[in-house]
Amino acid sequence: MVPLSWYLILAAALFCIGVFGALARRNAVGILMGIELMLNAVNINLVAFWRHIGPDQMTGQLFAIFVITVAAAEAAVGLALIIAIYRQRNTVNVEEIDMMKG
Amino acid sequence: MRASDLIHLLPELILLGGAALVLLLDIVWLRRAEERRRQLLPYVALGVLLVAALGLIPGGGDNVSVATMLVFDPFALFFKVFALLAVALIVLLATPYMQTRTPFSGEFYALLLATALAICLAVSASNLVMIYLSMEFLSITSYVLAGYFRQDRKSGEAALKYFLYGATASAVMLYGMSLLYGATGTTDLAGLVAGLSSGAAGQSAWLVTPAIILLLAGFGFKASLVPFHQWAPDTYEGAPTPVTAFLSTASKATGFAILMRVFLVGMGAASMASQWISLLVALSVVTMTLGNLTALRQTNIKRLLAYSSIAQAGYILIGVVAVVSDSTRIFTGINGVLIYLLAYLFTNVGAFAVVTAIEDATGKLEIKDYSGLVRRSPWLAGLLFIFLISLTGVPPTGGFLGKFFVFGAAVQTRMWVLLAIAAVNSVVAAFYYLNIVRYMFFVPAAEEGEPIRVGRPLQGALAITAVVTVLLGLIPGPVILWASESARSLLLALR
Amino acid sequence: MFLFVVFALIALAAAVGVITSRKPVYSALFLLLNFATLAALYIMVEAQFLAAVQIIVYAGAVIVLFLFVVMLIGGGELDDIGGRNKKFLARLTWPRGIALVLGLGLLVAVGYGLLSGQLMTATNDAAAFGQGSVQAIAAVLYTDYALPFELASILLLVGMIGAVALAQPPKKD
Repeated sequence: MVPLSWYLILAAALFCIGVFGALARRNAVGILMGIELMLNAVNINLVAFWRHIGPDQMTGQLFAIFVITVAAAEAAVGLALIIAIYRQRNTVNVEEIDMMKG
Repeated sequence: MRASDLIHLLPELILLGGAALVLLLDIVWLRRAEERRRQLLPYVALGVLLVAALGLIPGGGDNVSVATMLVFDPFALFFKVFALLAVALIVLLATPYMQTRTPFSGEFYALLLATALAICLAVSASNLVMIYLSMEFLSITSYVLAGYFRQDRKSGEAALKYFLYGATASAVMLYGMSLLYGATGTTDLAGLVAGLSSGAAGQSAWLVTPAIILLLAGFGFKASLVPFHQWAPDTYEGAPTPVTAFLSTASKATGFAILMRVFLVGMGAASMASQWISLLVALSVVTMTLGNLTALRQTNIKRLLAYSSIAQAGYILIGVVAVVSDSTRIFTGINGVLIYLLAYLFTNVGAFAVVTAIEDATGKLEIKDYSGLVRRSPWLAGLLFIFLISLTGVPPTGGFLGKFFVFGAAVQTRMWVLLAIAAVNSVVAAFYYLNIVRYMFFVPAAEEGEPIRVGRPLQGALAITAVVTVLLGLIPGPVILWASESARSLLLALR
Repeated sequence: MFLFVVFALIALAAAVGVITSRKPVYSALFLLLNFATLAALYIMVEAQFLAAVQIIVYAGAVIVLFLFVVMLIGGGELDDIGGRNKKFLARLTWPRGIALVLGLGLLVAVGYGLLSGQLMTATNDAAAFGQGSVQAIAAVLYTDYALPFELASILLLVGMIGAVALAQPPKKD
């Protein structure tokens, strides 16, 4: 049986990679991928906790299912936005999408 | 979930049905119809909001838990009324504005009704799963509303920035929620406080501080607290003006409502409360100082109101940190937050209504375009003056009442340093608010313009917001009573 | 134990691949690999239904959507975080520096907390096995979690309407 802390450390590492990706990427699609990594790290956490706290309480698993649902909706809206932006300016680089300053 | 629970969910069901109705009406009945019939749509939305408000009556505010995930207490009721009022005002603001700018307004009103639904669910959620889902529901709807003008480059940019920051913040918040779940084995707020303060607390204490910080990223994003505010200026500037008004009032209030419920109910035990209070004090100081200092050098009115709205979030936070558990006192901190948010709703929506009217007539948004406004349109100038002095916090306006109760709570808990910083900040803020007044009244216009015509719905919004802003200052009794009563249910959890 | 280490290493390598590859298509495929490995990990903790959902929704829908968009807006180059033509320090602009510090700080803080904290011990596999099945999840999902379930469905509907409203091509009139 794999100890709980191994899962949590894997999740923490994936989450940090995701955070780094979301902050360091300049391409909007790349940022969105970083966010997906973060959400998946959360799911590992939830499932590992579920398994170790007591599987008869289903909260962790259900929370993970809801996270997946929301992530799908979020990705759909985000990618729609990215397409709309791309139609306007032929780029999805967030540094070039910067009309407003102040 | 029992059938009898449905009576408590009546307003939510009405809003859901209403949103579907608006969408269907738009597709089936109005799409091919002539322009006049299409203009009925916002009034249908207003009717839905009115019916939803009536639907609040049978459920009442009698502290019941529904479907294990929602709690219906006076606190939730306050914010539901708040949300319905806010969205109704936004519909009035949007009616002439959307008409001239986009041929597709059906989805817009349907989505606005959906945001009201999201807020109603978010403010009564008592479980982390429900809180996450409803916050995300509100966020996704707001992303679409911010980017609604898909031909407009600024609107698209506003929505993309809002989305990228929002999705990151919600993922971070979610990580905090998963840690809390791991520490206590439950996502229920009442179970959370029991799990965190029980015998196992020593084992999980190390999780609480990181979890608080991570959660704050999500709530702070909604409430636009520094350092989670970077999206706000660009999004406020680029989004359609009615949507900006929505984001700066209703959406912000939802962030505060959830923050208060999670921290007071879920982490209300004294050992944890001291942790988040000290953290929020720091956030409050940074938020108002940075917001005000940056607002000083803005030239675009929407951007200025964005930074001012960040600064106002800092003042509101003072009420949260000055909370006292004794609900018999006059200043409990939380009632100050509620009064402040209500006053801010009418004041800020009013200010944005004036901005919308002028943008509609002239298409201009720079502060220097407001010079000589008193000649072109004395009414608009006078109204904007009322809203600006309310934002500054001068009596007899609602803004003064809010500041009085929030600062009063801080005096009561003897947070002198925080008060001093807030006082200095209020003076700085007066500077840039009155600068707009100076332009309107004392700087002559570069060229003589025609008088500005204001459409009827917008006139309605202006009249309501101005009257309520002044009335809140003149007859504050009922509102104080209502807010204190609503805050009580939350204070019971604090020990 | 051995399997966990293998899958964890693949997942980490894939995640690094996602944020360093220069072609967005490669990024998306690395993301797919990451999701698939996570599904394997879910099976190892007896969460079979979740593993299936992970594959169907993430691999089947989200990644396909990503690939569609990447193809639609024409591949192009992502900025090269792992580029070869520049020295490491030259590529470390300040947002990246902050991101690196934040990421490492979070990792250290959480890792330290996890190692020093005492955690509950696991329950046995036999009890867990039944709880990851479709029946067990459905039993809870349609009773205690009926309200969030309905909310999630409304959220998907609104997401769909929003995506259509945003992404439909501009009308010529």
